[in-house]
Amino acid sequence: MIPPRAPVSHQPLRQLKNRIATGLITAGGIGVLLAILAIGVFLVWETLPLLGLDQTFALVKLSPLAWGTLKAALAAMLFALPIALGAAMYSALFMSARLRSRIKPALEMMEAIPGVVIGFIAGLVLAPWVERHLASTLVVLVWLPLSAGLAGVLWHLLSSRLRQGLPLSWAGLWLVPWLAGMLMLALWLAPLLETMLPGGDLRQWLEQRWGLDYATRNALVVGIAMGFAVIPSIYALAEDALADVPHALMEGAQALGASRWQALWKVALPAAGPSIFSAVMIGAGRAVGETMIVLMASGNTALFSASPFEGMRSMAAAIAIELPEASPGGLTYRYLILAALVLFIFTFLVNTLAEMVRLRMRRRYQKAGRY
Amino acid sequence: MRRQFTASSLRLLDRLWPWLCAASVALSLLMLTALLSLLLVRGLGHFWPATLEEVTLRSGEVVTGEAIRETSLPQEAGAERLYFTGNRDVSGANWRWLALDDIVQRTTPEALVRLERTPWGDFIGRLVGIDAEGEQLEGQPAWEYLTAALALPASQRPSGELVLATADGQILRQPLASISHATAPNAMTWWQKTSAWGQRVWQFLSEGPRAANTSGGVWPAIFGTLLMVILMSVIVTPFGVLAAIYLNEIAHQNRLTRLVRIGVRNLAGVPSIVYGVFGLGVFVYGIGGSLDSWFFSNTLPSPTFGTGGLLWASLTLALLTLPVVIVATEEGLARIPDAQREGAVALGATRLEMLMRIVLPMAVPAMLTGVILAVARAAGEVAPLMLVGVAKLAPQMPVDGEFPYLHLERKFMHLGYHLFDTAFHGEDVQAAMPLVYATALLLVLIVLVLNLTAIFLRHYFRRQRGNEC
Repeated sequence: MIPPRAPVSHQPLRQLKNRIATGLITAGGIGVLLAILAIGVFLVWETLPLLGLDQTFALVKLSPLAWGTLKAALAAMLFALPIALGAAMYSALFMSARLRSRIKPALEMMEAIPGVVIGFIAGLVLAPWVERHLASTLVVLVWLPLSAGLAGVLWHLLSSRLRQGLPLSWAGLWLVPWLAGMLMLALWLAPLLETMLPGGDLRQWLEQRWGLDYATRNALVVGIAMGFAVIPSIYALAEDALADVPHALMEGAQALGASRWQALWKVALPAAGPSIFSAVMIGAGRAVGETMIVLMASGNTALFSASPFEGMRSMAAAIAIELPEASPGGLTYRYLILAALVLFIFTFLVNTLAEMVRLRMRRRYQKAGRY
Repeated sequence: MRRQFTASSLRLLDRLWPWLCAASVALSLLMLTALLSLLLVRGLGHFWPATLEEVTLRSGEVVTGEAIRETSLPQEAGAERLYFTGNRDVSGANWRWLALDDIVQRTTPEALVRLERTPWGDFIGRLVGIDAEGEQLEGQPAWEYLTAALALPASQRPSGELVLATADGQILRQPLASISHATAPNAMTWWQKTSAWGQRVWQFLSEGPRAANTSGGVWPAIFGTLLMVILMSVIVTPFGVLAAIYLNEIAHQNRLTRLVRIGVRNLAGVPSIVYGVFGLGVFVYGIGGSLDSWFFSNTLPSPTFGTGGLLWASLTLALLTLPVVIVATEEGLARIPDAQREGAVALGATRLEMLMRIVLPMAVPAMLTGVILAVARAAGEVAPLMLVGVAKLAPQMPVDGEFPYLHLERKFMHLGYHLFDTAFHGEDVQAAMPLVYATALLLVLIVLVLNLTAIFLRHYFRRQRGNEC
């Protein structure tokens, strides 16, 4: 059936409507994009008057904050990187497809947990606990990876029937109770280990031997809490990167006699390397800008100290605390906006770089997949 | 020799590294479950009517209260237990640490009652009798009279006075009007406790905070969060969709568009506090300050719009979530096959008609997903709100019966900030902890449900679309 044609007299009206609507959408779209751009313009504009001033105040004011930001981000990355990359390698290379389709949303959920909740748990539950059980915490941090290796050794000693019941492709799930048990064991044994130290108290020993002070809310706690927050974003991107590597590459390497370790180290990682690097950068960007966790778990003391047992004050936390009280247009106000500008430029650059790398890699593998 | 060594260590690595990797997945899951179950147990457990204990000490002193937790003593052997004893007006403190070695006897007498009072916080002890409107009741009838009176609405309650006895025998006279709830948890059956639990959860969700945020509920914070999020999505949806349509359907696809697209995508990774700074500088001080000097100059120097408020908070969060909506909508638009568009244009449709009748209806699920993700992100964001208008205790709700009903300039309460403030700036953090847990649980639940909805929607529509094509 031929659709009834609109009367000719309506045609100019339709065309006019079309023109107007297109114009409106264009104007609106460009307007929105400009509004987003305005963030950068505003930050630069507000910090311009600082250019002519003496820079010593800026150095005094901002350098402890910059140090605190870097220290917090570094602590978080130290905790998050091994876990996130390990998890990504496992789920891209070993995990059964069914488990993978369940685990990925679960870790997406982990990313959605608000920073303020993580910060609350870190500041009011984890920090006091770690203060009372410092030795146990350190023992656990060392013991958990060892116990994972132990699980591997024990598994190889098992009879083949048992091994089939506990396949490696589901290990991500059935290792949970194992790790929980090992955690309990470590918590039970650690106080015994601590009594073997001279003085029988780790914190006293640290202070006497190394001169380390201990603050309740410190870099260790921030590292664990913020690490928890950035694990999912690194994991998701790195997992995608590894899954994008054509299977033919890995299989080819193994067919030529490489072990799985060699195939991963020499083939998959170099192939996915740039994308994994970009995942790490995006994680670092998140860690640098995260406000609530640092605010609640770091003690907010602007110190120059590399000790993992002392607090810090990050740029984002300083903005959240000081900016509402700073008088608009004043010197403090402008310096805090300068801190915001630094954060903005840093994360924006890092993300842009990461995104470009990701797109380039994706295009390369789409080409490679075709042949 | 060396070669053998590397070969064997390689074999070991080859065996072990999958296990290390698997353990990192397991560890992430373990941490996630630990966090969620901690919130669940502590958040929901607080509402369960706890057993009240009567503890006799070695010195002969008798203490009543609820056992909270135990810790080992710092320097010596042994442990101590923390009790919530209430009765701040009599003993001067709500809390008491008792060394386990000092405790001779622990009993749970059924006669112990717990009363929530407005001036002094909880009372824990015994109900001796009631003087109500000439009547003198004692024992069980007095308790029945009290529960019947409390079941009435506050305005219809009879006036009267309770005679209460603390554990060490002091007699207290308390006006009936100051009591809000009364329970005798030791005498309750399991079923009664469950219904009391349900009631208290409901009170938590529906009442305002009392006693400097240490008791009562979080209704104003829930309301503030919802209102702010709704306003935000009203602002962000049209603008985000507009920008996405422009980028994907109208703009020429060249290098510049690609760069803009990358830029927009990356704004999602800019820290939220930076948006807060922008909101404070531009919306609050810039636009708000100008509005004040034009329209509200009679109330200056006290600012109307020139300070943080609901409108500025919603605008800031709208800007923050704009990239999320744009990216999600664009993904949806890009997935629509070009054949659909070409078909529509070939049949004589103008671009507007093609967009409105063919393209947009097909992209609705993607837009919906984008908006839900934006809402989920906004509901959990606290840092920018601290700069642009959240309040620890808002005296007035942003919606009321007074013209113009919706007060965009007012400050509002937010679940996340309420959590931060009660946990870190409260007077009695120990007493507020259970409520903080409950608030955190509520916030996590809201955000997780929103995210799950988005994930589910995306999968559902993707499958449906798969069948169509």
